[in-house]
Amino acid sequence: MNAGLIAQNTFREATRDRMLSGVMIAGLVILIATQVMSPLALGEGLRLTIDLGLSAISMLGLLVVLLVGSSLVAKEIDRRTIFNLLSRPITRPAYLVGKWAGLAGALWVVTAGLGAGLWLVLLSRGNADHTASILQATYLAGLELSVVTACAVLFSSLSTPVLSALYTLGLYLVGQWSYDLRSFAGHVPAPLSTLLGTAANLAPNLPLFNMRTLAAAGELTTPWHLAVATAYAAVYVACVLCLASAAFESRDFK
Amino acid sequence: MQSPGVRSAERHGIDRPAGTASDSNRDLAISARGLSKFYRSPWTLKVTRGLEDLNLEVARGAVLGYLGPNGAGKTTTLKLLTGLLKPTRGEAWLMGIPIASPESRRRLGFLPEQPYFYDYLNGREYLKMAGQLSGLASHEADTLARHWLGRVGLGERPDLNLRKYSKGMLQRLGLASALVHDPELLILDEPMSGLDPLGRRDVRELILEQHERGVTVMFSSHILPDVEMLCDRVAIVLDGRLSRIADVGELVHDGRQRVEVQCSGVTVIEIPPAWSTTVTRREHGSDTVFVVEQEHLLNDVLAWLLRSGVRVRAVSPQRASLEELFLSAAESSEERRSA
Repeated sequence: MNAGLIAQNTFREATRDRMLSGVMIAGLVILIATQVMSPLALGEGLRLTIDLGLSAISMLGLLVVLLVGSSLVAKEIDRRTIFNLLSRPITRPAYLVGKWAGLAGALWVVTAGLGAGLWLVLLSRGNADHTASILQATYLAGLELSVVTACAVLFSSLSTPVLSALYTLGLYLVGQWSYDLRSFAGHVPAPLSTLLGTAANLAPNLPLFNMRTLAAAGELTTPWHLAVATAYAAVYVACVLCLASAAFESRDFK
Repeated sequence: MQSPGVRSAERHGIDRPAGTASDSNRDLAISARGLSKFYRSPWTLKVTRGLEDLNLEVARGAVLGYLGPNGAGKTTTLKLLTGLLKPTRGEAWLMGIPIASPESRRRLGFLPEQPYFYDYLNGREYLKMAGQLSGLASHEADTLARHWLGRVGLGERPDLNLRKYSKGMLQRLGLASALVHDPELLILDEPMSGLDPLGRRDVRELILEQHERGVTVMFSSHILPDVEMLCDRVAIVLDGRLSRIADVGELVHDGRQRVEVQCSGVTVIEIPPAWSTTVTRREHGSDTVFVVEQEHLLNDVLAWLLRSGVRVRAVSPQRASLEELFLSAAESSEERRSA
């Protein structure tokens, strides 16, 4: 119950932050820009709209994670608002889960809002047949952001906002290139290959959540892929939050 | 006679198995045994003492003032009790429940020093959330939030954003958030800090009201007259160690008993050399005041004054104030440290 209250409060904090409305406006501006650029795309206007629209969801969501998520816990410690929470009957893991759930919830709202905007643009262009693929791609983008948010909460509970933003961005990039890293690891000598292989395995498998190319072509992914991506996100988030809780449990708040 | 409030566990030779909430712990609001906190610098690995071997028992319904100079270990103690710091060693219980368990904080109201709040919330939203986090149902938390906002004088604008609150208003809100769930134990870190005289009076009244309701209160403060006025017992912590703990009355009566004799008609009168260190004089308007530092000399001094032909107008025993005792304890600790 307490994790729910913390989540509700974090959601309220994120949605009352002007940055979130700024991100929504930026997303809509990008969608309008795609319509301006479409005539220049030599018949690929639809592909451009979907590709840029879905990329905007991921990139703007990442921006929110880096700016809000990375300071989510650190800011509470800096401002000492955490004293008022942890001096109540709340476990530290419940606090971290609540913080993650609140921001992830706000990001789902952003993702759904921008996804709906993209769908409306496509509808206005008479491309209603892309509805299902947009829905799937938006869902996977939401899952991806939930995973990255969990990483931001982990770093934020251990470090300063700037460092945790850098760590989160680093992990995001390694995660995006995890397939390339794994393949590259096979072509380098032993200590480096082990290091790269381990990094690729520990980082979140973010390409699993990317179906922009499929959606741009109007194709659907399989229900199996959606199920695996959902289960993977749930397990990854649970593992990261467990790690964060273990580290956070012994922290002193001076 | 058993004191109503606190007694030193060490003095009473407590010997209980570690980690168990004994019957006596359950009868106490706060109980600590060997509670210690050391800080290690991550860069120099130098260890500094925050608090060492605190043995403390606070009976239910007592009001304990927790005194000490800056950096003595007051806030460290309160943060250890409220779960914000993890003890290096030792144990403590709140209402018989070990502090390691979040359940120990269910009936606790805590006001941190200079409390900070979420500036995107308003007072009512914040208090409602605080109540819910301490276990109140949503509707009940909302009702009590409105009640406590009014009680601390913030009820006229319940929807005012917290970023528009002044320092004094935030302190009042902090108190309301400590009280909103009707706790059985209040731990307040410098509750009078940042308040004007009216605000201080309100806080004193709130503490007294809670005391009358049977709530146990432990608070740290630098405002000694308030401590003297509110507390059953006082604990003085110096250099991370509990230096003294006693009833307020016992503490102040333990001090030197000084007597002031106010006289008029004093012309040329020399204090006998035998009393040069124990009797002093000062002028007070048209009167002269003789300060007798040792009470047992009073009869002799009075006889001498009467023989000298002066008119004795008043004889007033002077109780040592808590402030004097506190300063004397702090000075002796400083001397020990420099020696």
